[in-house]
Amino acid sequence: MPLLGLLSGCAGEMSILDPAGPSASAQFWVWWAMFGFSMVVALVLFALWLYTFRRREQPKRTPREEQRIMLRWVIGGGILLPLASIVALLVLAAPTGRSMIPLPLPEGEAELIEVVGHQWWWEIRYPGENGEPDVVTANRLVMPAGEPVDFRLVSADVIHAFWIPRLGGKRDMVPGRHSVLRLEADVPGVFGAQCAEYCGAQHTNMLLHVEAMEREDYEAWLAERRAPRELQQGADEAQEAFGEHCAACHTVEGFPQELINDDMAHDIPGPDLTDIGSRPTLGAGVLPMEEGAIAYWLEHHQTLKPGNRMPPHNHIDTETLQDIGAWLETMEP
Amino acid sequence: MSDTKDATLTPEVRRLQQGMDEVWGNPKGLRALTVVNHTTVGLRFMVTGAVFFLIGGLLAMLIRTQLAFPDNDFMSPEIYNQVFTMHGTVMMFLFAIPILEGLAIYMIPKMIGARDLVCPRLTAFGYYCYLFGGIILFSSLLLEMAPASGWFMYTPLSSGEYSPGPGSDFWLLGITFVEISALSAGVELVVSILRTRTQGMALHKMPLFAWYILAMAVMIVVGFPPLILGSILLELERAAGMPFFEVAGGGDPVLWAHLFWLFGHPEVYIIFLPGAGIVSTLIPVFAGRPIVGYGWVVAAIIIMGFVSFGLWVHHMFTLGIPQLALAFFSAASMLVAIPTAIQIFAWLSTLWLGRPRMTLPMLWIIGFLIIFVLGGLTGVMLALVPFNWQVHDTHFVVAHMHYVLVGGMLFPLMAGLYYWLPQVSGRMPSERLGKWSFWLIFIGFNVTFLVMHWTGLLGMRRRVFTYDTAMGWDIYNLISSVGGFMMSAGVALLILDIALHFRFGRKAPQNPWGADTLEWAMPKPPTAYNFVSLPTVETRHPLWEKPDLSRTIYEGRHGLAHIDHGRRETWGSDALTGKLRETIHLPSNSWWPLFAALAIAAVCISLLVRVYWVGAVATLVAVVLLLRWSWENGAHPGKAPEASMAPSDPPLHYHTMNGPGVWCMSVSHLANGSLYLSLLFGWFYLWTVAPEWQMPDSSPLSMPMLVMGGAALTLGTFWLAKLVRRLRRGNDAGLGGGMYLAGGLGVLQSVLLMAVIWQAQLAPTETAHDATLLVALLYVLIHALLGATLCLLQGLRVGYGYVSAKVPMEPVVVLRFWYFHLVVYWSLFLAIWVLPTVLGGAS
Repeated sequence: MPLLGLLSGCAGEMSILDPAGPSASAQFWVWWAMFGFSMVVALVLFALWLYTFRRREQPKRTPREEQRIMLRWVIGGGILLPLASIVALLVLAAPTGRSMIPLPLPEGEAELIEVVGHQWWWEIRYPGENGEPDVVTANRLVMPAGEPVDFRLVSADVIHAFWIPRLGGKRDMVPGRHSVLRLEADVPGVFGAQCAEYCGAQHTNMLLHVEAMEREDYEAWLAERRAPRELQQGADEAQEAFGEHCAACHTVEGFPQELINDDMAHDIPGPDLTDIGSRPTLGAGVLPMEEGAIAYWLEHHQTLKPGNRMPPHNHIDTETLQDIGAWLETMEP
Repeated sequence: MSDTKDATLTPEVRRLQQGMDEVWGNPKGLRALTVVNHTTVGLRFMVTGAVFFLIGGLLAMLIRTQLAFPDNDFMSPEIYNQVFTMHGTVMMFLFAIPILEGLAIYMIPKMIGARDLVCPRLTAFGYYCYLFGGIILFSSLLLEMAPASGWFMYTPLSSGEYSPGPGSDFWLLGITFVEISALSAGVELVVSILRTRTQGMALHKMPLFAWYILAMAVMIVVGFPPLILGSILLELERAAGMPFFEVAGGGDPVLWAHLFWLFGHPEVYIIFLPGAGIVSTLIPVFAGRPIVGYGWVVAAIIIMGFVSFGLWVHHMFTLGIPQLALAFFSAASMLVAIPTAIQIFAWLSTLWLGRPRMTLPMLWIIGFLIIFVLGGLTGVMLALVPFNWQVHDTHFVVAHMHYVLVGGMLFPLMAGLYYWLPQVSGRMPSERLGKWSFWLIFIGFNVTFLVMHWTGLLGMRRRVFTYDTAMGWDIYNLISSVGGFMMSAGVALLILDIALHFRFGRKAPQNPWGADTLEWAMPKPPTAYNFVSLPTVETRHPLWEKPDLSRTIYEGRHGLAHIDHGRRETWGSDALTGKLRETIHLPSNSWWPLFAALAIAAVCISLLVRVYWVGAVATLVAVVLLLRWSWENGAHPGKAPEASMAPSDPPLHYHTMNGPGVWCMSVSHLANGSLYLSLLFGWFYLWTVAPEWQMPDSSPLSMPMLVMGGAALTLGTFWLAKLVRRLRRGNDAGLGGGMYLAGGLGVLQSVLLMAVIWQAQLAPTETAHDATLLVALLYVLIHALLGATLCLLQGLRVGYGYVSAKVPMEPVVVLRFWYFHLVVYWSLFLAIWVLPTVLGGAS
């Protein structure tokens, strides 16, 4: 029986039972409390039920006595027991959800990060302040640890749900509106996140790599990406091919406008690739980022993640794809 | 055929029984398709439901095979998504609801001492709708174009943009078709339970099972229309581009979620209530004493029915619902534990105060208790919003809902199957094979789903086609898969057991379990008419107090023991007291139900392949067929041989003005009203909530024409009411002309409405505002046309002599329809013209 395992013995990076933030911890304890109480109720009930089959002797009872026994059971078990449990649950456990609601903080404001759900990848936006540019990245979420962070959740197409199990509850991303979910990571670390509302063919492969870091690291990370950049020189062929085949959907900051082939403009935007070389995975969690991984992905992405929105690249020769891949791997801040 | 001693019967009784067999018996060969008898159709429902259960189970095994190992490529994602969508859809819509309806259709008349349901042709029609709808839906899987948006079909994933293939259309059209079946069964079960109980069976003496089915049927009638409306709107969006759920056009995808769960949550209780009804029937029998706290249980059923309509939002806690609403729905969802617990403790005290016997059906009841209680406990946990935010859409929820649904429905159903098997076949089931299959299913179920709670807590989402081994979920998924296959083996054994029993089971005694209810007071297998004579029932436990009732019924010593008139008759009684009110003459076998269902199937298929002119023709044919069917009513010779013949006691129902037809119309209005309120809900919801709703500055509808149309309708309704009042006094002079006049006013109203629509120049593909307005106007237009048609047909029928002061019921039915339309029309006028004009389109 798995239930006999250690309370938090399983350290999968998506486990609710391995909390790494205050919201998730609260729900961890709420779960075990509810579990313990439920087990007692269930076992007592089952024992009583089975016991009625075991008894041999039955005392003679008048209808009045029977009525009294019935009322005791029905009122005690049928009304008081559930009512008391519900009141306890609402009073003790319901307030634990408040930490996920974006209420005003005693001082300062929570860091705001915007997450956009796409079929089937994540766009992460860090709003700039005082005229700073937005930082836009994809499939990798970097957040400060030890402080509350507000996630502003929106969807670009269908309903998705944003969920970092080890930090706390999930919230749906609904087209046409936004919602804000507040989460906090106790200490720096790496967590898994996933889309929790079924969103179509590749719902399974809509994973997000979350990294919580100390405040100064986080700020350095952002500053790196805000710094003006220049594209690496000497990769003209790769850039031309990228402009020809990719740039209509994929943004790369600073990419020369004149190289972009407007004819193949596509309704569906693809992930921003400005810092793709620094991301840990490809295809929203399908492949680990290694040397040559991007080229491999470009060639086989419809087998690796069938149905994904990027058109197949059968018309582009392998060498060109490898060029593009190698060039993209250099895209780091 | 029967174990009652035939040798002692007098020749008269034999003649009576032979006559009954002739009038009620089922035809053979092709004409078997015309059978309307509730016993036969109920069995057809259940067998078809069982077949769909096996199909759904097979899909479940495909899912468990795919998930048994990490990174498994047994199925492609595309196929996997179709498989899990169809598993949920088949189990919910094609197995759970229909098989329970089948059970109710089969059992209710037998338990309340009636010979058939009150609208037998509707029973058959419902079955064909279910069969054809089910086949259409299932065919999509064979064509590899099944719906793949999950069984609750959230928009915009299921909409034209993100699901361009025909999968969603199969779902929307097929399910709506099947829901027509559920609604027709719901309507006639309500009316049958209220109006055809045998003499003396007051409401508080009715078997508990009938209370449960009454609640279920009312809930079907009220609960299904929101989804029917949702399906119509979504199909209109997909096929005609009307943006009800599309943000850019002023719609809102969350409206779909509301409409779906407005249906979807009551549905859980629609499935659970009959299961609990089986439990409440079996426990007293095997405890050898009446249920303890009958009144408490009835109160719990009624509370449950009401509360279940206030819980739907708990499926949407993560969807960004306002805090206050979250708190309300969270508390309400927990409070539903109270009526559930009342029933559980009433059952426990019945066992406590009785002498329970352990039998095979009882074993299944114990399985039910354990599984259902565990499911209920996780249900309370899920109602806690912050915990729900964690586990929502994980395998924890998958485990929870299987505990509730399999525990609350499948286990009681199996208990009922073994309990009633002798009633159906006349043979006893085997003990040994049955026990084996119970233990395989019980253990297999828990192995599959108990572990799944844990998998969910470890973070495994539902509806994923595979997972990474690094997640640490491998072993738990493998265990779940092994459990699943164990459960399948149990199901196979169960089928074998049932099949073998028909041949090898020993003959069952008349009342094998010592039951108290009337379904055991008839020959086994039952005759088509159930009872040769209808008994008077003064107690809740007729067979315990009069053990020889089976015999005296069989010998024709009770009521309605005549058949010379050649009519199928049963008693109509007072809804509350069970006092006799009329003799109901039931229609006989008919082709119309099959033909009408075939025409609707043609509509369905032509919409699927998008050949709309065929769809229009088929719709017309379906309407004509349904009207042709209704033609054989009242004093029509096909329906009523010798209608004006010797007065019977109590009088034949069509000589009265409050017969079952009037009740059926009223209950149908409950369904129609629910559809209308859902439409109003949609209008106000989009108006107030949709992010990009656009309201024009002034209403595009012509007020004078709307008011004139309303005036015609109001005038017509009052005129009809006057005709009915005169009819009530026995005066049918000028009835035919009067009906034509009312019909004329209906036509006038329809023409004015068409003019309103024409003149408004709506752009229903541009804005959700115009689209909703158009649907609302079409809704009243259909009612106006139907109201007019019914009146004109009444005029004709008066001419033929099918309707008169002696046969006065139909105008009453038509009047009810007009009353309903009147309320709808003016309230809609308020909602779509007055309010927008007063509040202004300033937004």
